Amino acid sequence: MKLEFGNFYVKDVQFGSETKYENGTLTINKEEALAVVREDEHITKADLVIAKPGDNTRIVPVKEAIEPRHRVGGGTIFPGVTEELMQAGNGTTHCLKGCSVLVVGQHWGGFQDGLIDMSGEGAKYTYFSQLQNICLVADTDEEFEKREQQKKNHALRWAGMRLAEYLGKAVADLQPEEVERFELDPVTKRAPEVQALPSVVYVMQLQSQMEESGYNDLVYGWDTNHMVPTFMHPNELMDGAIISGSFMPCSSKWSTYDMQNNPTMKRLYQEHGKTINFLGVILSNLNVALEQKQRSAMFVAQIAKSLGADGAIVAEEGYGNPDADFIACIVELEKAGVKTVGLTNECTGRDGGSQPLVALDELANAIVSCGNVSELIELPPMETVIGELQALARDGLSGGWDNDPILGPSVREDGSIIMENNAMFCGDRVLGWSTKTMVEY
Amino acid sequence: MKKAILYLNQFFGQVGGEDIADYAPEIREGLVGPALELNKQLAGEAEVTHTIICGDNFMGSNQEEAINTILGFLEGKEFDIFFAGPAFRAGRYGSACGNICKAVKEKFNVPVITSMNDENPGVEMFKKEMYIFEGGASAAAMRKDVKAMAYFGKKILLGEELLSAKEEGYYPRGERHQIWLNPPVAASDRAVDMLINKLTGKNYITELPIPKSDLVPIAPAIKDLRKATIAFATTGGIVPVGNPDRIQSASATKWGKYDISETSDLVQGEYMTIHAGFDPAAANADSDVIVPLDALRAYEKEGKIGKIHQYFYSTVGTGTTQGEAARMGKEIAAELLSAGVDAVIMTST
Repeated sequence: MKLEFGNFYVKDVQFGSETKYENGTLTINKEEALAVVREDEHITKADLVIAKPGDNTRIVPVKEAIEPRHRVGGGTIFPGVTEELMQAGNGTTHCLKGCSVLVVGQHWGGFQDGLIDMSGEGAKYTYFSQLQNICLVADTDEEFEKREQQKKNHALRWAGMRLAEYLGKAVADLQPEEVERFELDPVTKRAPEVQALPSVVYVMQLQSQMEESGYNDLVYGWDTNHMVPTFMHPNELMDGAIISGSFMPCSSKWSTYDMQNNPTMKRLYQEHGKTINFLGVILSNLNVALEQKQRSAMFVAQIAKSLGADGAIVAEEGYGNPDADFIACIVELEKAGVKTVGLTNECTGRDGGSQPLVALDELANAIVSCGNVSELIELPPMETVIGELQALARDGLSGGWDNDPILGPSVREDGSIIMENNAMFCGDRVLGWSTKTMVEY
Repeated sequence: MKKAILYLNQFFGQVGGEDIADYAPEIREGLVGPALELNKQLAGEAEVTHTIICGDNFMGSNQEEAINTILGFLEGKEFDIFFAGPAFRAGRYGSACGNICKAVKEKFNVPVITSMNDENPGVEMFKKEMYIFEGGASAAAMRKDVKAMAYFGKKILLGEELLSAKEEGYYPRGERHQIWLNPPVAASDRAVDMLINKLTGKNYITELPIPKSDLVPIAPAIKDLRKATIAFATTGGIVPVGNPDRIQSASATKWGKYDISETSDLVQGEYMTIHAGFDPAAANADSDVIVPLDALRAYEKEGKIGKIHQYFYSTVGTGTTQGEAARMGKEIAAELLSAGVDAVIMTST
């Protein structure tokens, strides 16, 4: 499988009469873009707002982030999700780097939504403060979940994907500024000097805890709750085969943007042929029933062993209940003789004194830790709010609260906030961006 | 100038050796023994105003009396920070430093700092409750150990950023927090480098050392269920509709108890779940799926169990820290014990 990313580095975003990309500037015809958003009749209100690094701006409730892209030669950028199924990971995809489509609720947030500050102390908590963000601020008629804490956010998330695809068309016929190539020979057809290197698989445990469809991560449109672990090519996964779900407390969540730009996968590619033989990805899940956890761990270890893996990196999208899957998977791999490194965040509580993961095992002896979901964060007011600040307190965001006997409400009258890291939009960056770690005091 | 007070044993307090280890607590104005060095090291930020001296055996055999006497000495005295030791490898002295620091911290809410060698049993006993600096084996390390305590004490008094246990030199207190790496290194690079090191037999350091398991032994079985009082407890968030105790839907810090003495079935419209970490449809339609009161009432009628306890206890497990969970568990357990409950059916989700 051979994939080329043709990259265009967006340094500025503005509105104008024509949607186009020129000299690092992405110009958007707002009405035309919003027409694409409104293709779904469930979208009742929609607007586009631009948020740039350094802006005195707070964005909440953020539901999803997507990198605008265009599949050269035809076909959707999210096969099996926005349009018909096709193979991803082969050919050329044009990418608008340095920018993202942020899907923001005009009013209503939920358990899985997060917050982004574009400047100040809060900016360091999320990756997206450094991007040119095209915020789709919208509302829907999905009355059934309006006041539910858990929301599928279907209309909004799909509108975001359509918008990303629409914006990607701006670079359909342009010459990329940079080309990234990703190619792996079939596992058994590699050069002897590559085969001689330690063989490594990357295990992604995607969020799949909900039994009802509509909340979990999708692989080619398929609910990851209904899959057993399978072997996949990294190119597929960077090229739109997986999309983020709408369930996990936000700092632990992997947005679709994160999946498209997976830093761990890129680093494994860099090492391929030099220090390791990168076999590919075992895609796994995080179902809640114990038997399903054991089944997935067993499948992962078997696939890794059959492929001849010497090493594995396991990354977990979530915390709490999914820690059991994370540890079980590492234990099964280690027992199968596959040396394993885990990538996760922790839940040690506001005082830092709680057990870091729900499940622990001494075989999990190599872990990279990306943060504490329950760290308390207090931030001053921002001049501009995109979305609705009250959502953080009112709508049950996993790191917000309407009232606390000691701390008061998450959102104060002056617009300052107090929240748990849990509500930072995709803040713990377990797919690899995190420059946070955990230390003991 | 901020004020500090130092605790010493009879030996370092220059009263005498083992023969007068029964020496009762005493407080002196000014500096005795190591207080001189501490005062020098604190210079500019704080002065040591008093030295407390107590025999190790007196503290060991009359702990409550010793502590109360010393707390009495401190009553009404102005001080911003409290030091004890260094205790080096002396076990009784280490334990005394730990006990008095703990009591002073609780009563006066001031920072407390001590120092012990890693073989001093006081380290294991008290490291989670205070800053204990890693000290030398004997008094030869006096100057170095006092300097470490003073340096950190000054940082606290100045309100400076306190770094991790490893960076500062105190024993880890079991509190894990996130920090940003400086210089920044992405987790992807840390993970791949760690894996390459692990694969090639090189050293690597895990960022999450697996703590020792804290296992609770399984309780002995109930001999005669027909005479037993059984209670329900759940982390599944089952509450009367309206959530009267306003238990949080995630990261809970509250629990509630609800009278079910007149109830035999948790029906829709009267009970619901407020738990945000799972699909609530089934639990809202019939809360017995999480707190199976209907089934246990049937057992009660059939005489299979003695009776069901008057209340069921509920909180939410999702995102709830182990620390909060343990506290709530202890509070609920105390109620159950005093009510004579023999067994609990504890349900999670």
